[in-house]
Amino acid sequence: MNAPQTATGPAAIRAAGLTKRYGEVLAVDGLTLEIGSGQFFGLLGPNGSGKTTTIHMLATLIQPNAGSAQVAGFDIGRNAVKAREAIGIVFQESALDRTLTVAENLRFAGLLQNLPARTIAERSRELLELFGLNEHRATPVAALSGGMRRALDIVRGVLHQPKVLFLDEPTIGLDIPNRRRIWRFIDRLRAHNAMTVLLTTHYLEEADGCDRVSFIRKGRLVESGAPHALVDDLGRHILEVEGADIERLAARLEARLGPCLCDGDIAMFRWAEEDVTALVKLQSELGVDVRSWRVRRPNLNDVFLWVAAGKGLRS
Amino acid sequence: MKLRPFYAVLEREVLRMIRQRTRLVAAMVRPLIWLLVIGGGFNSVIGQAHGVGYQDFLVPGVLGMTTLFGAMLAALTTVYDKESGVMRMMIVAPLPHAWIVLAKMVSAALAAIVQAVLLIALLLLLGHFRSGTDWLLLAAAVVAASFACAGIGMVTASFSRTLDNFAATMNFVIFPVFFLSGSLYPVQSLPLALRRAATINPYTYGVDFLKHAILPASVPTDFSVTLDIAVLTAFSIIALTVASWRFSQESAYEPMIRVLAGKRG
Repeated sequence: MNAPQTATGPAAIRAAGLTKRYGEVLAVDGLTLEIGSGQFFGLLGPNGSGKTTTIHMLATLIQPNAGSAQVAGFDIGRNAVKAREAIGIVFQESALDRTLTVAENLRFAGLLQNLPARTIAERSRELLELFGLNEHRATPVAALSGGMRRALDIVRGVLHQPKVLFLDEPTIGLDIPNRRRIWRFIDRLRAHNAMTVLLTTHYLEEADGCDRVSFIRKGRLVESGAPHALVDDLGRHILEVEGADIERLAARLEARLGPCLCDGDIAMFRWAEEDVTALVKLQSELGVDVRSWRVRRPNLNDVFLWVAAGKGLRS
Repeated sequence: MKLRPFYAVLEREVLRMIRQRTRLVAAMVRPLIWLLVIGGGFNSVIGQAHGVGYQDFLVPGVLGMTTLFGAMLAALTTVYDKESGVMRMMIVAPLPHAWIVLAKMVSAALAAIVQAVLLIALLLLLGHFRSGTDWLLLAAAVVAASFACAGIGMVTASFSRTLDNFAATMNFVIFPVFFLSGSLYPVQSLPLALRRAATINPYTYGVDFLKHAILPASVPTDFSVTLDIAVLTAFSIIALTVASWRFSQESAYEPMIRVLAGKRG
């Protein structure tokens, strides 16, 4: 058993100037990316930012208008079939036959991957055990709960032991216990066989475990780095100020504290100083205009909000 | 050449056929109603021609009907596959996407052949099969007609985006194909416009091939066996090519992927 690898070997995914246009809409705009072998990589961004289109291009399912990419060393255009052999993909929506049972679905998926029936049976048993689905082998997929169906979808995606796994919002639409369960499975899977994983999610706490994340905005990569490094870049603290006339308050404070992010009644500033007296001084100056103050550590959600607002991370 | 993916698609089709027994029962009841009720009714009005009654004349027609409906309905499940997750499982497999179309077409033809065999067994039991049937020719006719019908189905499926237009498909594809053929009447005795329509309908040649195999030589057929085989084979190949092209074509294929895999960016 290998521990999840963090070292970067030869690139598992390499994209250069990848571009996809849908009519007038530029879904992905000159995306350049390199993901090392064995890395756990998160592609993060708001809805409609081009995450899924990127995954579909890399998985050879749609063709880019410009640019090129290699997955596991195979060109996604010229060598699509070879590339698909090395790829596993879990779509946002399930890729299962609801009329067939759990075991029949895996058999169908495995045969499509050209695996011998015996290999399919062995791996299915092993993976269903790992994912806690063993007693549901003969259950029709239509009768499974949403969480179990998603787990089966992941089993389906890794049955052929792909070198590169694409997980497109693997926990979307699931409740918290099921999201946790899916993540336990994914962690176990990564401990079981080291593979490169490209994850998209907008539950950002799920991306904390990534070796590296990139933020995508309007089809372009805007920030990349290790999650903790990006959080550190944002600043030591986040100062949240809540008040009635927040816009006037924010404008007053912006001159002294730098750019602010407004969210309803709350204005957020980056606060780099450790000195509490400066904060107390500011507080007494503003007095009754402020309803509440809060100073806290930033997290990946803050990085996401700053990136989504189009504001740089570094002051 | 990878045969397991091919086998996977066929196996799923057979599994579905066994699971959905009502579909199988309907496939048997439909031609029997035509043969026993409509055939029986007209039999007493029309009487005999060339040594066979109208009901006997209708046997190749209803057998053809089984292959047509069987193959069409199986091929149209491709549209269902697009809407459910199944097409997603197939497009990520390491095969050229034309293989999926070929596998679906062969499995649709297989479904039609199985249903035709079942109907032949039923007709034998009911005593509606002539003793002089050329069984080898009949086997060839069933196979050739099934592939041509699967071809019509795959082309239709490759042009339909949702199951909503299934009723339209019934009205504008299956019924005209069936009625504008020699299933219910000899093509040669049709008025000119209908005769022309029947002549360009590939299914007509399938029914004609079945007539050669089932009806006594005294009954005039519309075309020669050679022409039937040539037209059915050529049509099957053209249909496969068109359907594969449609599936690989960007405009048809990419919106499908986008619908399939969720619209979120």
